[in-house]
Formats: sequence, structure tokens, C-alpha cells
Amino acid sequence: MDKTPYTSVKESITWLLLLTCLIGCDRCQEPNCEGPDCNPTATPYPLEIPPFFPPMDIPADNPLTEEGVHLGRLLFWEKSLSLDASMSCGSCHLPLHGFSDPAPYSTGVTGAQGTRNAMALINLGWATSYFWDGRAMTLEEQILEPVAHPDEMALTWTEAVSRLQADASEVNYPEQFLKAFGTSTITSNLTVKAIAQFLRTLISADSKFDQWRRGETNLTDDEFAGYEMFLREGGDPETTPGGQFGGDCFHCHTEAGLQFSDYLFHNNGLDSSFVSDAGLAGVSGAALDSGKFKTPTLRNVALSAPYMHDGRFQTLEEVIDHYNSGGVPSLTVDPFMKYTTGGLELSPVQKTQLLAFLHTLTDSAFVSAPQFQDPH
Amino acid sequence: MMKYLSSHIEKRNLVPFVWIGLLMLILVGCTRPFFWMDDDVPGTFRMDAILEWEGQPYSLGMETEDHMNHPLRLDNLQMYISEVALRNEQGEWEKGDKVHLLDFNVQNQRILDAFPPGMYDAIRFGMGLPSEINADIDPASYPNDHPLSVVGSAGMFWTWASGYVFVKYEGKYALQAGEQLIEPLSYHCGTDDSFRTVTWELEQSIQIRRQNLTTTELVFDASKVLLGEADSIDIVMDPVTHNSEGTILGGRLMDLMVDAWTIR
Repeated sequence: MDKTPYTSVKESITWLLLLTCLIGCDRCQEPNCEGPDCNPTATPYPLEIPPFFPPMDIPADNPLTEEGVHLGRLLFWEKSLSLDASMSCGSCHLPLHGFSDPAPYSTGVTGAQGTRNAMALINLGWATSYFWDGRAMTLEEQILEPVAHPDEMALTWTEAVSRLQADASEVNYPEQFLKAFGTSTITSNLTVKAIAQFLRTLISADSKFDQWRRGETNLTDDEFAGYEMFLREGGDPETTPGGQFGGDCFHCHTEAGLQFSDYLFHNNGLDSSFVSDAGLAGVSGAALDSGKFKTPTLRNVALSAPYMHDGRFQTLEEVIDHYNSGGVPSLTVDPFMKYTTGGLELSPVQKTQLLAFLHTLTDSAFVSAPQFQDPH
Repeated sequence: MMKYLSSHIEKRNLVPFVWIGLLMLILVGCTRPFFWMDDDVPGTFRMDAILEWEGQPYSLGMETEDHMNHPLRLDNLQMYISEVALRNEQGEWEKGDKVHLLDFNVQNQRILDAFPPGMYDAIRFGMGLPSEINADIDPASYPNDHPLSVVGSAGMFWTWASGYVFVKYEGKYALQAGEQLIEPLSYHCGTDDSFRTVTWELEQSIQIRRQNLTTTELVFDASKVLLGEADSIDIVMDPVTHNSEGTILGGRLMDLMVDAWTIR
């Protein structure tokens, strides 16, 4: 059939409309799925942002889907991702310990030990960098490291992908990847994306403190006094302007967005020399970053002993005593540790109250949630 | 109708219609306003923030001396700037609507705001945050890229009741030359009472042109926070003020900071 001029114009307008939508308009873009790894047929995961929490920025090329989160959980607990198939991510990030390791240093498949305490995996979707020294800027980037690290799971990604691709178990990983990403061809990129999706669902927001913030329960007098202590400036107001005889915890463990971390890096006065572990300086190369480590969240802190980047403190009492002492002066000690010559001078009663508050951050429902446990 | 069009309109005559159609599609279909449609954002005024110490270029981490010859090093300098305004020829203040968090740890700190075209003979801005966006605000209510959000305000938020830290001025000092700089210096100023306004009468008016960028340099001399014309701070006697409820020292520091700014 010959085209009439009118038909030609109609076609032109149709093409122009499509072109305009594709190039010029925000509204015509698919907001939930970008990039070649997105599977438009996957079911969007109904992520619920808890009250008082900020929005979670999820990478446009890795939106949460039911299938992706399920696959991520399978992979998080998958022991075949380690050299001798004896360890999974969950081996060092134990749910009942706030997804951290009760040992100061985790032991890898070869028997080698790490050099830092395994961080608690809580509310990672709001973090702005990963690892104690912040060397990974995204969750996906962070997940790449432990599998291949010789002191951890010690498996090359080539081999890891090969094992998953050849999986003949009931899980059937190629099938799981097909559901999640629309392809049964497994890659390291897709594997970390799935694990990242799962980790973003590890949201702790139902501690006693959260329930109190929502008006569902009351804090005891000691817990509330500890909370006030947490929020008060340290120091004697007679000698320190603004001193409030407080615990001075809130600067780094800010309660903004109920994250209890500022996501920044601080030298909290543990050492005066940083030869053994330079912290952030090892990444930035800046001498003034020596001894700085990322502020961990205090959520589930009562479950996630030992404490500090090297797990040197076994109990929260030791941690409080450290801050109460003022810590060790050094060239890079954080200005927040401004009482290095005298300490906070908290009384035993005040320390007990602070401890009581820290225990209100324990979220038992989170650590025992069935959807986070080993599915294998 | 279609037959009529087909038989009476020649193909080449339709070209203008196609272009008109394209233009209409763009105008109607896009969510982003076009510059000629956007009367509210006619010109951009940018102030490039520059850090100095006693009139010389300064970077955080550099060792220097205060007015009492104490070796000193600033490690952190952050501050909220809000309510940037320009005074027009009618003597009225045109106000920008943005909040800025200057962080001198990061290169190329800038304050950008939009103003109507015209001539302006004075500049004004607030150090800190006006009360309506300070206390009783939940940072979680802002998108994460906003300077007042949980992420954007990292370390610059006290509590819901007391709001944001307006200025952080932190570093280390030594009691005398030759000693290691390990004494902490830590000034955190905030609270509604600490809000200060900085104003300059300009010797030469600046012109904001529609859709054009007008720039100037905004210099902060950090040494003047410790030594001003009417006041001075002894960092050994007063190395710390941290108080969400405001302190006399915090107020003095904010007053000194007002005079630490110059426009270049």
C-alpha cells in the first residue's frame, strides 16, 4: 500500500513523540529500573522505611526486587562461595551478634585471621561508605572483597561464578538469577548486586528505643537518664563552656535519622601511634587521617561485642571506661575527644545509666527475623 | 477528512507542520521548564568561598600561629550559610531560598543562589540557620542530598530540640613553639540566638543578568575568629565550646566570625 503524505506525517509525529520521550523527558524514564541487569518482570520489593528514618538511596541499576532479595539471602549464606565450601558471609556476620563476629578477628578458610573486627551489618542502606576505613563507596563494591580476599573466603570470583553456574542443587542458581535479573548467565556483578539487595533489607528499627520514640512504651528512669547522658556534652561547665557533665556520645553516634552514626571517620583516642593500622589514612594517604575509623552504629551494640575496629574491648563497660578516661592524646585525636586530659568524669551511677540506654538499642526481632536466617 | 488531506496537501508543505508538532511536543511533554519560560530563575549569583589566615591563603591541616604565638592547626571548618540576599536599586532585599553547608575540607566551596536581573548594591547572608528551619526539624524529612538531611548534615546536627550546629571550628594547638600540636581546639556554635547576619555595602554595584552567572569571591579569614577589633579569644583558656543550648563563648565566636568575612 502506498503511503499518503498524511500517513508519512503521522509516522513522523509518532517517531518524534517517541524520540522526545526518550531524550527529553524525565517522566518518560522508568524510575525503578536502569541498566542492562534490570529485570522488568521481577516483583518490586516493598521496602518499608521506618518512622524517623531518612529515605534510602538505592542505586538505579540495582532496584530491590522480591526475587533479587531472595537470591541475595541464598548467596549471603552460600558456603560454596568460599575456597573449601566451609564459609559463607554469614559465618562471620552472625545474626544473633547483630550480624557481626564475636571474635575480635575473623578466621578465614585458610586459618588466617583478619586484621579488623567484622562490622555489624545493620541499616547498611543508609551508610555512605563501607569497611572501617571507608575504602568501598558502595555496598556492591564492598561485597566484592571478602569472597576473593585470601584471609577470608579465598575464592576467585571466576571460580565462584563457575560454581554457581554449575549448581545442580535444589536451589538452582541459574534459575534464581533468571528470576532476579532476567538472565541465567551468572556474573560476579550480578552476584554482588543480589547480596546487596538482601543487605539493604537488614533494617533494624524495632528496639525498645524505637518503640519509645513511636510512643509505644516507656523507658525506665535509668534508661531515660542514660539517654539524656548520651545527648549531653561532656565536661564540667565551670571549666568547659557548654560542659554538661554528659557522656558526649551524640556527636559521632548522632541520633539524626535514628542511625546512631554520623557515617564519618574519627580518631577516638585509642592509640598514640598508628603504625599497625593507619585507618582512613591507609585509603586517603593523608597523614592527618591516621587513626581515624568509621563510626559504627550503636544499634544492637549490646549484641555486637567485641568493640572498636580491632575488637580490643570485650564489654560495653570497657568502652564506657575508655571514653570516661578521655582516651589517648595524639596528633590526630578527634576534637570530640576534647577531654583527653581529664576524661568525662562520669560517676558509676551515670555509667550504669548510660549502659541501660545502650541496651534499649537492642532489636531482638531484627536479629531473630526468619527472613534473614540461613535458608539452606 | 483524511482523504481530503491526502489529496490536497503536498508532502513538502507538511514540513513546517512537523516542526511545529515537534516544538509543541517538547513544550508540552517535558517536566523541566525551559529557560525562557522560567521567570523565577533569571540569573545566578555565585560566591566562591576562599579560606585565609591573616590575609594569606590557608588550607586545613596547615600549621600556623594564633595571635598569642601558639602553634595552631585547623582540621575542620564547616558552617551553614542561609538567607543569601541582594539589595536592589529600590532598596529592597531580594532573597535566595537555598541553604548551604560550607566545608573547607572540600575544594571549591561555593554558594549559589538565583536572583532577578538587575543592579544590586549590597550583599547579605546569614551565618547559621534561621529559627524556622533550625530546631524541631527532623533531618530525615529532607532528601539525602539536602544539606539539612541526615546524610547531608552529618556531624552538624545536635538533637531535634536544639537543631543544627551552625559552625564547627576545630583543630589542635601547642602551648609553645616546638611542641607537638596535641591540645584539642573545638568550637561548635549553634542555637537560634547564635544566628548572625553578615552585610556588605558594595563600592561598585553588581549586575545580575538573566540566565547569566555573576561571581564574586567570599573570603573567610579564620585568624579573625580568634582576634577581632573588639574581642579576642585565648585558646588556652577557652579551647572548647560545645553546647546545643548556647554559651557566652559561642556567641563571642559568632560575633568575631561576622567580621572574618570580606567580599573581594
